Amino acid sequence: MPGFFRRLRARLKYRRFNAELKDELDVHRAMAEDELRVSGGAPDDVQRQAARQIGNVTLARESARGVWLAPWLESVWQDVRHAVQTLAMHRGFTVTAAAMLALGIGITTAMFTVVDALVFRPAPFREPDQLALVLTGNERGVRDSVVPAAIAKAWRESGAFEVVESARPWSGLLEAGDTVVERRMAAVTPGVFDMLGNVRPLHGRLFHEAEGQAGQADRVLISEAIWRTLYGADPALVGASITVDGERLTVVGVLAADFRFPEATTVLWRPADLNQAGESARPYVRFASGIPRDDALRIATDAARAVDARARQVNALALASPVAGLSDDYSTRAVPLLAGGVALVFLVLCANVSSLLLARLTTRRREFSMRAALGASRARLLRQALIESVALGTLSVAGGIGVAWALVSIARAFLPEPILQQTLNPLNIDGRGLLASSAAGLIATMAAGLLPAWLSTRADAGESLRVSGRSGTEPRGARVLTRTLLVTEVALACTLFVGAALLMRSFVNLANADKGLDTVGVTTAWLVLPTIESDPDDETTIRAALARSIEDDLRHLPGVQRLAWSYGIPPEGGFQDDGTWIADEPGAVAASMHLNHYVVSSEFFPVYRIPILKGRSFNTSDGFRDVVVGEHFARALWQDVDPVGRTFRNAAQVQKSTMQPGPQATYRVIGVARELRYPSIDSNSGFDGPEIYHPYTPAGTPMVSLRCEPTCDTAAIRHRLASTHSAVRVQRATITAERYAREIVRPRASAALAVTFAAIAIAAAAGGLLSVLSYAVSRRRREFGIRLALGASPGQIHRTVLRDGLVVAASGLAIGSILAAATARAITSLQYGVTSADPLSWATVLGAIAATAVVASWGPARAAARVDPAVLLREE
Amino acid sequence: MARSVPPDLLPGTLDLLVLRILTREPMHGYGIAQRLKLLSHDVLQVGESSLYPALQRLLLNGYVDAEWGPSENNRRARYYTLTKAGRKYLAAERDEFNVLIAAIQRVLETA
Repeated sequence: MPGFFRRLRARLKYRRFNAELKDELDVHRAMAEDELRVSGGAPDDVQRQAARQIGNVTLARESARGVWLAPWLESVWQDVRHAVQTLAMHRGFTVTAAAMLALGIGITTAMFTVVDALVFRPAPFREPDQLALVLTGNERGVRDSVVPAAIAKAWRESGAFEVVESARPWSGLLEAGDTVVERRMAAVTPGVFDMLGNVRPLHGRLFHEAEGQAGQADRVLISEAIWRTLYGADPALVGASITVDGERLTVVGVLAADFRFPEATTVLWRPADLNQAGESARPYVRFASGIPRDDALRIATDAARAVDARARQVNALALASPVAGLSDDYSTRAVPLLAGGVALVFLVLCANVSSLLLARLTTRRREFSMRAALGASRARLLRQALIESVALGTLSVAGGIGVAWALVSIARAFLPEPILQQTLNPLNIDGRGLLASSAAGLIATMAAGLLPAWLSTRADAGESLRVSGRSGTEPRGARVLTRTLLVTEVALACTLFVGAALLMRSFVNLANADKGLDTVGVTTAWLVLPTIESDPDDETTIRAALARSIEDDLRHLPGVQRLAWSYGIPPEGGFQDDGTWIADEPGAVAASMHLNHYVVSSEFFPVYRIPILKGRSFNTSDGFRDVVVGEHFARALWQDVDPVGRTFRNAAQVQKSTMQPGPQATYRVIGVARELRYPSIDSNSGFDGPEIYHPYTPAGTPMVSLRCEPTCDTAAIRHRLASTHSAVRVQRATITAERYAREIVRPRASAALAVTFAAIAIAAAAGGLLSVLSYAVSRRRREFGIRLALGASPGQIHRTVLRDGLVVAASGLAIGSILAAATARAITSLQYGVTSADPLSWATVLGAIAATAVVASWGPARAAARVDPAVLLREE
Repeated sequence: MARSVPPDLLPGTLDLLVLRILTREPMHGYGIAQRLKLLSHDVLQVGESSLYPALQRLLLNGYVDAEWGPSENNRRARYYTLTKAGRKYLAAERDEFNVLIAAIQRVLETA
């Protein structure tokens, strides 16, 4: 084998190789002459004698060179050169074909990479199948990912799992120099890295076992990502301290940017003793290899029930959930469908390249027949065609790698957080995906490239020369094949386009859906007020004073226009219960509902711009049982009667909150508010129940919502409160619009992708139609010329070609419609406010494709009609 | 009488001789031819048309490396160096050659 490479190298540097050989022989001769001269001969004699002694120099050189030249290598070399020349000569064709194939390979690889990272690949830890986040819940579908330390401790002692560690993510402020940024962080038990396995710090070390306990919690691990962006990749940062939420913490190590846990965006880890009583966190476990999973979870459920009498009744069922991966319904359904879409695009592009190659069949066939007639063997012709295809394929694969790289970079930067958040895998180009799509692309080009050679070597060379040379029409085989490929392309484009149109309409409907409130410019901070150890009366007064002082502070932040206190904010709502409610009227019918209770200050309605439709908002004299109800609730209890001033009761209620008065308490309606809606593609988002509002009194963990012009900076709110009220903790700060936007992010991503796919497919199909028809017309010029000379009108010729294109489009649309109907049914679950038979979508698709087909056929048709018989005759 | 190589040599023998000569030091083509002539007491005289193909063959098989360098009388000559693979090949071929020669001799003496 090394001999082969030496041979190839000599072949590639052929000129130098030759020159060296010549020089060497010249030197040899000179040396021989030198020696003869020294032994004293006449100059003339010397030369002659040397020549005699040495023999034929040319022969020597030839036979020396012959050692290196293997005949097969020479002829392959010739074929490669021929292929490169052919491709360079038809530059337009080469660039188009290679670009299309490159696009196909690139898109497919990028999509495969993303889907693999999101769906298929397990989290990048040691034996990831054994790792799990344990949820607690009940049989009715309630799930909670956070458990109290007591339960985690019980699990640890129960022996159900090999290891139980905890993590609690939060958003904190990082100060580096003058910049203050908000980033995701996590408090973790020190053993978490050991449980995950394969975690090695880039610099410094991981946490020691005792770190996180009192006095040893002032240290952190940071991610390479912020180490580079915020701290200039300073190696001296390990051992130095940084400011996190106003605290100075020592950096003990830097973790690689690829390490993602517990969330994809976590950039800082702080050790914490999450096993202390009163703490709660997400429990992460590694299953013991000897215990079946069901048994382990049963033991865990029993242990949790034993800890907590309250948990016995409600949520103690232990359930394992993967550490990462797509978990929401929408993505799990959408991602495979989009991957299927990519496959279709790839097929279209391959079909297109094949049809381009086949369109050239007629010319190539003639060339091949000529060469066959001159004595080229069939194997030789096939090999040449193969080499040409491989050259084209290689060009495409190179381009494809570039496209894939670009797309993956784009995906890394622009994929919406809710999607990226779901994987702990870094997004890097997937070698297998690249290999598979490159191989498929190569096979497609090779198949299409080999066909002309196959056909022309099979048929009698003489006949094939004559057919393509004289009659001037397209060969039938080529015609059938190219038209079939084009019909396939149009059908697939139609399918993709219908899917894209439906997804696009769903997205638009969802984005414009009425929410019953205005979220633009609203920001909410979730506060934890300090515990006050005194009698309850004082507590209320002190809290109220604290709330007023916080309120004053926040109202003075730049841009703040309105401020409201509440427990519960849209869309999550406040506390919820399943209850049966009945109006205090004779003959009233009880209504069972999953009700959403908000406890709000009077400014809540203007902050969220929720109109009060009847009655009034709260004033200071209202008690907890004076309520504002949503439209839905009002209609359920009073139908069309004005409910303001009427009263209602809780008929039977599963009591879940201490905030509820006794079951028989009477509520009085003081107003009716516009119904809140939560437009979501997941039919069961759980946020869309009817709501009622209670007046606000300050307590431990309120939310404060601000309406700002234009928007409020969550970091600014945290910063202000940290500096003025250090005892108040900001648990979370969210922009309400972002919370709603979460719902449209995924449909938007799907719609954008689907539209891109459809656009590529349609462009490819149109391009294919154009090039195939142009070729057909150029082949049939002679035929058209004769028909024109015999009296056909240019209009007739025009129609002939146009019909050719439209027949292809119509057949494609017919087949495509059937495929599209199936696709539309498959994506029903991704649709919002639009049916699979949506007339607007279908009309758009069919119209657009038909119009594209006409446009693509128009040029070739016109060219055909303009053939001038006289010019044609003169050419011959 | 001087003889020309290879017709009268067993096939592959020239390669073997060249490799053997190169074991002492790197040499250029002319030097190899001279050394061959000297060591064989003028019996073996190789012409360019057999020496250079042989050298190219050795190059192709990776038994020698070639590099340009100044010669003793200040010409630029191409020097051949024995490679590790060449040394191994020489050892193996030499044993085989000895066996062959012995066999030939046995035949010549006993037949």
